[in-house]
Amino acid sequence: MSTALVANGFPEEEVRSRARLGAAAVFPAESGYGNGLLGAGPAPYAPDRDDDLERIRIVPPVFMPERLKKLIDLGREPLYSDVELETVIGGFTSRLPLYVSAFGSTQVASHHLGEAVGRQAARLGVPLVIGENVVPVNGYRDADGAGVTPLLGRIAAYAEAADDEHGGVALQQSTEDADAEVWNLVYSDPVSEPLLATGRLAFELKVGQGAKPGLGGLTVLDRDTAGRVAEQYATDEVFGADSDRVLRASSPGTFTEEILRQQVRLMRNNFPRVKVWVKLHPGRDVALAAATAWAAGADAVTVDGAEGGTAWAPTGFLSHVGLPLADCLRRVGRKDRCLLASGRMWEGTRAVKALALGARAVGLGRAALLAVDEDREAGLRRLAEAFALETRMLTSAVGKYHVNALDPEDLLLPAAWRMSPATSGAA
Amino acid sequence: MTVTTPEAVDEALTPFPSSPDTHLTDPRTRATLRVQSRMLAATRAFLTAHGFQELLPPLIGPVTDPGIRGSKQVDVDFYGHKYKLMTSAILYKQASLLAFDKIFYIAPNVRLEPVETAVTHRHLAEFHQIDVEMRDARREDAMRLAEQLVTHVVTDVVASMPAELDVLGRDTDTLRQAVADTFGRVGHARATADLIAAGHPQDPAAEIDWQGEEIVSADADRPFFITDYPKGSRGFYDKEDPRRPGVLRNFDLIAPEGYGELASGSEREHDYATLVTRMRETGENPAKYGWYLDLARRGIPAGSGFGIGLERFTRYVTGRQAVWQASAYPKLPGVVSA
Repeated sequence: MSTALVANGFPEEEVRSRARLGAAAVFPAESGYGNGLLGAGPAPYAPDRDDDLERIRIVPPVFMPERLKKLIDLGREPLYSDVELETVIGGFTSRLPLYVSAFGSTQVASHHLGEAVGRQAARLGVPLVIGENVVPVNGYRDADGAGVTPLLGRIAAYAEAADDEHGGVALQQSTEDADAEVWNLVYSDPVSEPLLATGRLAFELKVGQGAKPGLGGLTVLDRDTAGRVAEQYATDEVFGADSDRVLRASSPGTFTEEILRQQVRLMRNNFPRVKVWVKLHPGRDVALAAATAWAAGADAVTVDGAEGGTAWAPTGFLSHVGLPLADCLRRVGRKDRCLLASGRMWEGTRAVKALALGARAVGLGRAALLAVDEDREAGLRRLAEAFALETRMLTSAVGKYHVNALDPEDLLLPAAWRMSPATSGAA
Repeated sequence: MTVTTPEAVDEALTPFPSSPDTHLTDPRTRATLRVQSRMLAATRAFLTAHGFQELLPPLIGPVTDPGIRGSKQVDVDFYGHKYKLMTSAILYKQASLLAFDKIFYIAPNVRLEPVETAVTHRHLAEFHQIDVEMRDARREDAMRLAEQLVTHVVTDVVASMPAELDVLGRDTDTLRQAVADTFGRVGHARATADLIAAGHPQDPAAEIDWQGEEIVSADADRPFFITDYPKGSRGFYDKEDPRRPGVLRNFDLIAPEGYGELASGSEREHDYATLVTRMRETGENPAKYGWYLDLARRGIPAGSGFGIGLERFTRYVTGRQAVWQASAYPKLPGVVSA
């Protein structure tokens, strides 16, 4: 195990174990096989029982007409390994219903960890979201123009490691990024051309994030760095005047229905070669916001539940502010549009529940960082292998053989829930 | 005399010069630049006679026109502050109406357009605009003036520069007929529907793309206006029609024969609160427009205006194959040159 990266309140040990062991970590320790009494006892990691997504159970039926169809199709009894996981995520073809969520200028995501995550995501053939505020904080190019800074490095690392068909990169731009014109810079940079030419670049409009709904990005900077970005960001001396560190605060940006609609349309107008993604915080009007984005032409809408976030947030926000992911999914309902879900994702059961509730794919944030921190070369790949095995097993258990076929009927929902049937996103 | 259309001669397109001398000593370049000089003189004579004050345009500023699809701005280190080279002087045009009711610039602009525009024959990274702004004018006033100005300049060149047009093989009858009648008008919604009906995949919510623009231009035999672009396809300073939310009171002027867009213009938004809201709708951070918004709070005059791309206009009048041929030192997107 390598660095001092810690993730409180997150199943860090389980994620690190999967990053080391891969699919084997889906099961109890091999050494216990044949002598331990294994039943429905408590799992080693105790999930939050107040979290509806954890309380929901996946409920296989006895009769499985879809399995019969697959049996006829194959001419033999289907197995879990026959489940297809490839899907379309925001206009990209992905090998798994999985993408790597954004982490931006936050210290944990800068430098080589970010590039290693990108390389592994590319080899997996799953999309990568690159976070906001990378350019204003870290710069676009080195001073001599030749070197590679985090943003270009991450795009280049991804493009080099990917095949030409799978995955893609979605790049965020915040209000402060708009000053640095990140999208314009990237749109015409030669580094982006391999992705643009294969339709695998998206721009993600960040409306908000799960860990701090209603607030902009917050990071801690040393005074020197803060001085460099003083024209773009407000800073706050929350650590006292003698501290050598300050709080850097981004503005959250102002949105109304019309502002969101027009920003999406402007993205389509100005950058016709990219896909348009929109990331929403878990606001109480998340269903209206998602419908507005889709109606304006967004290829994907990401909902980041209140349990999400790699970044630094006030502790009060983490416990008390924003809708849990389960509530977001319930409010948005199943739509015939690409909905992406993030928030404490790391393994198959939570993901399968989110997919059955209407998400097309789930985002790995902290889990991806921890996995790559555990093993720079293969940590994320092994975590994804474990995820894929679990997802295939769970999907086949409910008698389905494509991950897109998961449905609320596959879940035992809390009594108060009433899922709306699939409708068009413009509702 | 041969008729020159961009499509007909596409295969014979002169290669982009590797050094300035081959380009500068080409008789066609000299003829083109002489016509351009005459066009500028005719423009100045016309506008001055109509009461317009010529101002010298600003080159740098803390902000510049953001309403540019997919192009990059050039940063200038201004004593430790990040300034921009003008992509267009629109914000200063509006401000200038505080001094004069009618102004114009011949303004240099730099836009680092996406590299794929190097082959459209219509994009230069460095170019000039005939920038016109009129206080208390409506969109229709600006359109009428643009039509009169283009008609005047074309008529003047046809009458005064037959030798140069002959060198260039430009059919003067075609030009004369193009400006003999009033220019056509079509709404964006109609132009978009026609393109879709013709099999071109045009997004109805967006600016008409370069290929679509070439298609509608090639179908025309006289210049025409496309009006009423949807919000989301233009910058925050194009006024929204109060009676038709989502529709802008703006226009493009399209040249015939496939030469494409010559000019863009609009009635301008000048109300402070609306400007801030529209900035958000176009993804802009209002804070960086400090001087402009402070001015808007105190009151920017209502008005309308337009900008004619000088090199594009020259290309149309001279019948050249590509817009770079209308510049002495052309800068094509992504191409390193003199």
